[in-house]
Amino acid sequence: STLPAVAEELLREIKKAFQESSHVPDDLLLGLKFIFGPSAVPALDLVDQRSVTRLTAPSGRTLYQVLGSSGKLYTCYSSCHFCTCPAFGFSVLQKNESLLCKHILAVYLSQAMGACQELSVSEEQLANILLAEEEDEG
Amino acid sequence: LCRGGLAERLCRLQNRERSAISFWRHQCISDDKTPSDKSGVLIVKILEIFEECTIQVAICQQLEQSPVTLSPEDALINAEEPILKVLFARETAAHLKSRPQDVIHIYPPWQKLLLRNTDVPVILNTYFSQKVLLSEHSEAREKTYDRTKMLIRKNIISLALTFRLDDLDDKLHQEPSDNQVACAPQLHNNGDSKQHPLALSAVNDSLLDMVESQGAVGWREVQVQVVIQRVYCLPAREGYRSHTQGNKPLCATPGTNSDPPNVRLCLLVQDAYGMFSEVWLQPLSSTDDIEQYCRRWEGKSCCLAGMKILQRTTRGRALGLFSLIDSLWPPVVPLKVPGQSQDSEMMTTNLPPPSFCYILTVQSGEMHVEVDEEEQISNLYQPPAVHGLKEILRIDACNKRCSFWAQVLYQRLQTKHTVPINQRDILLFVTDSTLQNVVHGMPKVVAVSVTASCVLSMEIREALSAGSRLVFFKDALWGNGRIICVERTVLLLQKPLLCLAAGADLSKLTGPVRLDELDSTTQANSICALRGTVVGVNESTAFSWPTCDRCGNGKLELCPQDRELLYCNQCSEVVTTPVLKMQLEVFLSCPSRSQSTVKVKVGHEISVDLSGVTYEVQSVLGKEVGLLNCYVHSVTSRPNCVVLEEIVLL
Repeated sequence: STLPAVAEELLREIKKAFQESSHVPDDLLLGLKFIFGPSAVPALDLVDQRSVTRLTAPSGRTLYQVLGSSGKLYTCYSSCHFCTCPAFGFSVLQKNESLLCKHILAVYLSQAMGACQELSVSEEQLANILLAEEEDEG
Repeated sequence: LCRGGLAERLCRLQNRERSAISFWRHQCISDDKTPSDKSGVLIVKILEIFEECTIQVAICQQLEQSPVTLSPEDALINAEEPILKVLFARETAAHLKSRPQDVIHIYPPWQKLLLRNTDVPVILNTYFSQKVLLSEHSEAREKTYDRTKMLIRKNIISLALTFRLDDLDDKLHQEPSDNQVACAPQLHNNGDSKQHPLALSAVNDSLLDMVESQGAVGWREVQVQVVIQRVYCLPAREGYRSHTQGNKPLCATPGTNSDPPNVRLCLLVQDAYGMFSEVWLQPLSSTDDIEQYCRRWEGKSCCLAGMKILQRTTRGRALGLFSLIDSLWPPVVPLKVPGQSQDSEMMTTNLPPPSFCYILTVQSGEMHVEVDEEEQISNLYQPPAVHGLKEILRIDACNKRCSFWAQVLYQRLQTKHTVPINQRDILLFVTDSTLQNVVHGMPKVVAVSVTASCVLSMEIREALSAGSRLVFFKDALWGNGRIICVERTVLLLQKPLLCLAAGADLSKLTGPVRLDELDSTTQANSICALRGTVVGVNESTAFSWPTCDRCGNGKLELCPQDRELLYCNQCSEVVTTPVLKMQLEVFLSCPSRSQSTVKVKVGHEISVDLSGVTYEVQSVLGKEVGLLNCYVHSVTSRPNCVVLEEIVLL
């Protein structure tokens, strides 16, 4: 498969450009649009608003929480591409139309630009967050 | 969306891109042939297609030239041609309806991405793509294919595939040229085939080399040595639009223009091969600096680095720029010949003037122009050739740049009140000793029109209003019997360092200034002198007002104590003998233009003693009016009438 490698390279370029000049050039932004389509602008908006938080437990386990535009908190996994938002379930899992949802893209972009908020939590808190998602869907 | 955030920026870029795409598509349809600008076009032949998410991935072979020019035998797969992975967005793919063996032309701006660990480059941003049909046979095949739907394999991407942005440390040790997103430049070939080994310290002397190396590895480090022929300001377009917002025009209060002027410092440079380029530098905060930049920079060598190409313009599209270039042609020293040894030089007398010019700009935030101010003036520099106005009026040509010294006699601003003062056209009436000393055949005064696109410093504006100063007009345009100051014309008060002056010192006027007398050749919007006898007064438009005889204050009030007396609050005293100022239109009989009715708006003053004497306006009739300086408002033939206004020369 080609697209993941392309997406990864684009995100790396953004990280590099940002580290070198604190600025993301226009061509990389347009590249984001090209690859990620309609998720690009909303993801950037989430980054502009500092909506992404990385939760870290003492064991080293991490999780991302993204504050969506509706005020709801969505959880994105670190070890694989997964997000609890409905768009992920629909566009990515069901229709295979996108690689990522806007929240996962926002997580990557926040990593690239150092815009992640950091939060330390206990193991129990992390586990609760993961379990709580299951309960909601049940 | 956050103002100034990344999302807002991408939105803007996206909108621009979308309009560009639809414009391009429309152009392709309406032209019914491929667009003519072939530079930067990627030509590929599709070998295999599959889909990932909504992106269509095409494994392609890059073709060197359009296969229309190749014979059918040659159109077989040549194993040596490079392989590319071209990505198409869903909408582009639907538009192209590509199949294996199809040839696609991809127009700039496209982007190339090099992935780590693979040799195959990936092409993105392929919105401007067009399928090229090889023959009539394939056109018919195309139509049948449209009816059958082609099945495209779709790859399912595993969710376990995450992106790793972390291990960049190993990257720092690599060459910076790896894994870079190289963007196809707007105008010319993506130079990835030309690997210039560019050393940072090497200074080039060819603008064309620098332009052609754009996009290649290390193009940012290329430095070019050029000579600054002219320094001037150009108005920045965006600024003008902000002044008149919709229906509500903003009028700047006279004298207090607190908005920073929207002008940009520009250079016209020339390299050792004779090629010109206009370099757009940073916006200026104060237009008063322009005089300093002219003095310190014109004629000096400078080094340009990291220039970005804004535009390649041609003679037909930029008449103003090329009239300036023509005034600098032919060069005064022999030019270098490209590709030949240093000793070989080209005599320039018969060379045609350039037909194209690149407009360059600096990368945002970085100043890449180093002017060696201490150095000598370059031999290639051509200072403006200064002529007397008499000689300029005799030039039989159109759109010629000319430079001259002149004394400004009178200034008239365009009267449109909806336009801010600093954007109004100005009409100047100027003269010099060559015109004043002429007896016959030439006017004594010439009108110079200053358009809003000619950037004037505050100092110059004040000097033009105050008058009696000599102004140097550098690179004004002469044509169709008029001198106009346009973009790239600079008005200066100081004498430029190097000037080719023809003959004697033209700047000094001996004796008082004389205007042409009103006669049958006088035209509207000119100034003249007249003499005659008052034969009538237009009483309906006459009005008068008292002024203080001590300080000239025109706003006298009634005394609070005695309502019959006048009071001046600037002197804080009663005014017993005010000066009555009048403005009236008089009809004159002028011997120099006896067939016409001459109507002049004049000012008149009489001193009044309020202790009882009555004054009479009728005493004006029959009076001789001698040599009045006037501005001609209009000249009509039916009725034969000239309408003028008395003016005071500066």
